[in-house]
Amino acid sequence: MASEIAIKLEKVFKSYYLANGEEIPVLKGIDLEIKKGEFVAIMGESGGGKTTLLNVIGCLHPLSRGKYFLDGENIGTVKDDFTLAFIRNKKMGFIFQQFNLFSRFSALKNVALPALYAGLPAAEREAKARALLKSVGLADRAQHKPTELSGGQQQRVAICRALINNPEIILADEPTGALDSKSGLEVMEIFTNFKKQGQTVIMVTHTAEVAKYADRIIYLRDGQVLSENYQLKSAY
Amino acid sequence: MAFESLLAKKTRTLLSMLGIIIGVATVIAVFSVGQGAQESVNSQFRNLSANSILVMPNRGRGFTSSSKLKASDAKLLLSAEHLSSATGAVQGNAAVSFNSIDKNYEVVGVDQNFIIISNLTISQGRGLESEDVDRKANRAVIGATVVSDLFTAEQNPLGAEITVAGKKMEVVGVLKKLGSRVGMISVDEAVIIPNTTAEKSILGSRGQVMIATTVDSVDNTKAATTSITAILRAEHKLKVSQEDDFRIMDAGSMVAAAQESAKTMTALLTAIAAITLLVSGIGIMNVMFVTVAERTKEIGIAKAIGGKRADILSQFLLESVILSMVGGLIGMALGQAAIPIISYFNLISLASSWTGPIIGFSFSVLVGIFFGFYPAFKASRLDPVDALRSE
Repeated sequence: MASEIAIKLEKVFKSYYLANGEEIPVLKGIDLEIKKGEFVAIMGESGGGKTTLLNVIGCLHPLSRGKYFLDGENIGTVKDDFTLAFIRNKKMGFIFQQFNLFSRFSALKNVALPALYAGLPAAEREAKARALLKSVGLADRAQHKPTELSGGQQQRVAICRALINNPEIILADEPTGALDSKSGLEVMEIFTNFKKQGQTVIMVTHTAEVAKYADRIIYLRDGQVLSENYQLKSAY
Repeated sequence: MAFESLLAKKTRTLLSMLGIIIGVATVIAVFSVGQGAQESVNSQFRNLSANSILVMPNRGRGFTSSSKLKASDAKLLLSAEHLSSATGAVQGNAAVSFNSIDKNYEVVGVDQNFIIISNLTISQGRGLESEDVDRKANRAVIGATVVSDLFTAEQNPLGAEITVAGKKMEVVGVLKKLGSRVGMISVDEAVIIPNTTAEKSILGSRGQVMIATTVDSVDNTKAATTSITAILRAEHKLKVSQEDDFRIMDAGSMVAAAQESAKTMTALLTAIAAITLLVSGIGIMNVMFVTVAERTKEIGIAKAIGGKRADILSQFLLESVILSMVGGLIGMALGQAAIPIISYFNLISLASSWTGPIIGFSFSVLVGIFFGFYPAFKASRLDPVDALRSE
């Protein structure tokens, strides 16, 4: 079980192109394997390609070159919107630094939205969303809009949204970056529960404090994997 | 979801709907004006058979020219080729009173043939006879509205003495209610008297003369017209250089001309409605582009959490369709509400029809789909990462 591979990247390249056609390479041949149920932190300096790597894994970016195996299947060449949207909807859950909630919708509607895209009936997605909000202590805030919630509460709503379709993989981009230390701690506690439930977590962070919750830290520099550091929980 | 988005920007939503509202109201107006014009043409000519030819005075463009056309010219026209009948009428307004009731009615001086040629029915008494015409008798046949205005239910109008322009006249007949016009005469509101009487003592020279004739076959209309022209020019002693002092109109070309002008009016208004809807569509497209630009980040989020292109396309398309549909409904309500108001003030002849609202509403939905599609399509094609980065 523990040895099953969730994600495998082989020689992955990703470049951006400026308006004048100039190529800006960001990922320069990433080789990476992430096991099912593993909690991985990606660290590295700004501009090192952390977020781009996460976006490539999250199927938000097509690769420039290389292979991307998800559950053993090479999806690096998939261009079909329907398939990519399906993967983002059912297989992955995204958590952002700035929460990225819909300000017009209540917490409940925000959480239920991916289930709407998945085609779940209204009653079922509302029940699921309520249960998730309850599990993070926000049962009484279901009808509140994001602007009526604190940063920590908003991030918990965003986590619920990422979880509603029971994804196998959680992708988080600086999930504590906009939070105070207490809220950040609460969020990381929720993250450690993901591992217990067997979910794979890939988290971008630049804070060692946060990274220490992970099983493994991957350091990126200049678009390449600098080192992979397997941590032992007991060391902390 | 689409409703919530629209409600969040109420003023903008309302303003962008305004074009559609006006457009649909215009479409409804167009159809009721068109229908109204058609109905008024129909009612004007309902009692005109296809083989009638009307002769009316033509006063020309000069100050000095005047028409010599008289109701009695009808008699001469009986000798024209292909004419089977001719009746002369002179028409004008006069005060009519009975007991203490005093009202203004259309007074029509005719000969004994008029009632038959015009397909009118006598409900009580008799029509005018040749003796009445020859003797310039003070006798009248009155329309149904005149009867109900001047007489109570118990009073018998037959034999009653009414006063027309100061002259006492005996009512010898009552016409059956018609509800429409014959040529330019509203028969229900008419007092019909011998044309000789009308020309001599009631209307004098201020009456409008009209001669109604029937041609034996529609195919002979042209030959009859030529013959009428020759007879009247000779009678009026017109020089070759002078224009006709009369106009000849045959039923077919009158109906065609009236229908043509009704059609032209409808076409013109349809063009206005189409332009209004086009402009309102561009307005909606503009608003949708602004909305898409404002919500770029949301589109990025939606894609990141699994929204398909089709989901995003349908959400924005739905918004523009709701926008135009609600606008269409309001326009429909306004348009329908305006019809009785316009009719009340008698500004233009209108008829409410179902075609207008249905076409207006369908077009508003089509405008929403057509002009909403491109912005929605652009939204669905946004790159998720670029969209997420926007603020």
